[in-house]
Amino acid sequence: MSPPANTHLAYTPPDGGWGWAVVFGAFISIGFSYAFPKAIAIFFKEIQDFFGTSYSEIAWVSSIMLATTYGGGPISSILVNRFGSRPVVIFGGLLCGIGMISAAFCTSILQLYICVGVISGFGLALNLQPSVIIIGKYFLKRRPIANGLAMAGSPVMLSTLAPLNQFLFDNFGWRGSFFILGAILLNCCVAGALFRPIGMAADPVQKQTIKQAEKTVKEQPNNSSIEMVPPKTVSLLSGTEDEEDKDCCEKFNKYLDFSLFKHRGFLIYLIGNVLMFLGFFAPIVFLAPYAKHLGIDEYSAAFLLSILAIVDMIARPITGIIANSKWVRPKIQYFFSFSIAFNGACHLLCPLATGYTGLVIYSVFFGLGFGMVCAMLFETLMDLVGAARFTSAVGLVTIAECCTILLGPPIGGTLIDTFGDYKYMFIKCGAVMVLAGTFLFIMNYYNYRMLAKEERERKATEETMKDNKHIRTETEDGNIWAKEKMQDGPEVEPLTDEKEGLKKEVNGKSEV
Amino acid sequence: MRGSGSGSGPGSMRLRLLLSLAALWLSDANEPGTAMTTRDINQQTRESISDYTVKGHDLSTPGSHLSTQDFNQQTEENISNLTSAMYSISIDGFSSAPVEENVTLYSPANITLLCSLTRTSTDSATVEVTWKKDNERVESSNVTINEIQNAWSTQYTLKIRDRNQMGNYACVFKSDQEVKATFHLQVPQIEGKDHHVVSYVGDSVVLVCKSLKYIPINWIWYMSNGSDQVAVNDSLMPDKYIVDEKYANITKLKILKISEKDDRSYWCQAVFKLGESKGKVSLKVLTYMTPLKPFLAIAAEVIILVAIIFLYEMYSKKKQMHAEDEKEFEQIEQLKSEDSNGVENSTTRHRKV
Repeated sequence: MSPPANTHLAYTPPDGGWGWAVVFGAFISIGFSYAFPKAIAIFFKEIQDFFGTSYSEIAWVSSIMLATTYGGGPISSILVNRFGSRPVVIFGGLLCGIGMISAAFCTSILQLYICVGVISGFGLALNLQPSVIIIGKYFLKRRPIANGLAMAGSPVMLSTLAPLNQFLFDNFGWRGSFFILGAILLNCCVAGALFRPIGMAADPVQKQTIKQAEKTVKEQPNNSSIEMVPPKTVSLLSGTEDEEDKDCCEKFNKYLDFSLFKHRGFLIYLIGNVLMFLGFFAPIVFLAPYAKHLGIDEYSAAFLLSILAIVDMIARPITGIIANSKWVRPKIQYFFSFSIAFNGACHLLCPLATGYTGLVIYSVFFGLGFGMVCAMLFETLMDLVGAARFTSAVGLVTIAECCTILLGPPIGGTLIDTFGDYKYMFIKCGAVMVLAGTFLFIMNYYNYRMLAKEERERKATEETMKDNKHIRTETEDGNIWAKEKMQDGPEVEPLTDEKEGLKKEVNGKSEV
Repeated sequence: MRGSGSGSGPGSMRLRLLLSLAALWLSDANEPGTAMTTRDINQQTRESISDYTVKGHDLSTPGSHLSTQDFNQQTEENISNLTSAMYSISIDGFSSAPVEENVTLYSPANITLLCSLTRTSTDSATVEVTWKKDNERVESSNVTINEIQNAWSTQYTLKIRDRNQMGNYACVFKSDQEVKATFHLQVPQIEGKDHHVVSYVGDSVVLVCKSLKYIPINWIWYMSNGSDQVAVNDSLMPDKYIVDEKYANITKLKILKISEKDDRSYWCQAVFKLGESKGKVSLKVLTYMTPLKPFLAIAAEVIILVAIIFLYEMYSKKKQMHAEDEKEFEQIEQLKSEDSNGVENSTTRHRKV
């Protein structure tokens, strides 16, 4: 039997106020993380001539950067679990800046791999994960909107960085551009400064009770509630933990929660997403070459990507708003599966578009689908595992996705080279995504049913335990006591005022 | 020179197919000394065919104008390199604007220039047809003039062997009005770079020139010295200039140890059999101070913003702590009075809330 869900937050997320500043910081941070590897492709031609290498050797720079950004996920999670989001993002911003500045003085392609690929890539990894994590800490009721807004940073930054890079390149050459981009990346530190740590609400009554609790009551070791508590109180609580029996697994789980692999919802999400990413990025990479292959000129082909970015930019916040509505939020997993399948259907229909108008329509729908999926990418994970364990979950998910993200475009490229026709690549991407969407839909239907069943069982046991003077942790306004939560375990987050049943379903429980 | 983007894909494919079929048919035709090599015909015709109407008799005429003697002479030279192509312009009536066509010739070839004038008025006044090279009138036996139902056409067959024959050839139709079409015979264009290349003092830079599709015999680099051009001698200064010609149609000039004096224009000249053609690449040299100013400006902005955010946070925390301290004091007093009852009481109290 798996350990009970430790998915609760020991405080009420503000759902506003300083949270919007945090969303803005996350917007910048996420924007840089996703857009930067794509935007530096503008310099590749010149660097290729300078070092006398082939195009594929230069393209490795982008791939290494992307791989490090995703592969550095677990390390990022561990650091956030230990230090909180703010120091990690500031350090990440400094690392990015240093990487790019040193890249400006590189004399070989290998040095470029290290400076731009590894160092800056890792800095971006330290930016991406904490930004996503801290949104979960600041928002609950309005979390989908916050996620949608923050993820909109990616297309906005890409649309800004691409012409900016071209301008820098024309005026300063590639070395000067890298130098200045190092300074621009330091703005991630500004974003990090906005990530004010949030933990226990400064409620003096709670503080008192905790002080009482650690003296009088012996609580079970509770992994995930620790990171919700500010460092000062951690030291108070960990004192009691030292007296407990602690094997190395539990200690490691404090930093990176491997017990997530027993979490049903997490596994569903992991398998579905890993499958989806096989076909997610390839169409974007090959859209412009496909347009040129059909005889469309270079500028119109580039314009297709601009259309995609603009639609993407608008679609993400709107998807966030829709996902936040009371009809969709409880069943957000279905909405996510639907958007993946919609994306897949777009790709399957793309080969039917033969003219420029057809491709424009395809770009619009593709941008829509892409934005929908991206906006809900992390929201659904938060929804399944809860904000407390999300820190570790996002790290584990990104490193698993890393492989398929890197494999997707090369597989598409191989298909195009083998058959000499782009349509097989689109069919493959579309089929993979429709499959992923269907898989997620079915499995989440199963998951929702299991959650409902477990909730009914839990209520039944609680009713019996009520007689033994165990307090129900169900509240309406969200003042939750840490001590009581530790004993009971279930996640209770006030989402809406209606239907408790639905509420319980959304707060993912971890029994398998 | 037309880019390959002009005309629809299937249209030009059909055209090429027809032309190659026509060429094959011609080679089978029982006319002595008429043979058209099909090699490269597709390439050249694809570039500059406009409004080409396929008519059987039009195709047959070029062949018949190659005299046996001329042809035999050519076969003695190097028949394998000879290409033949036809370029045509269709003029739509006397009132249309003068039409121009770029003909790119890479190596010696036999070309036929065809002008056709359509839609003249039914009043068929005599139309005088002349050809001009570089605005000088040409008299040649290689010119034919046809007229079919008020549609006039003329052909001029040329054997291009050296650079003197390159230039502008114009066909002029004159009755009471005059209209002309011009063929610009030129060597392939070289692609330099529109925007200047930026590099830094002490660094090295690679200037690239490309010749699309055609391979020049030789490349020569020049640098501008004031108003004239001086050849770049890489053998004389091997640690300053390196010319890399890994691929024959791309030339790369690598300049090492750049100094401010190297801030000038460079010309890459491609030598073809029928002439030369130049591309321009200009180099701009900056010092390391130039990007340093924006860098420092942005870094300063980052530091200022971070400082503002942290100061604001400390300020708002102080305010909050002040307000809390007062509240906390009161509530602690309250708690202490209830404390003796233990945990239960506090939770009971909480439940009421």
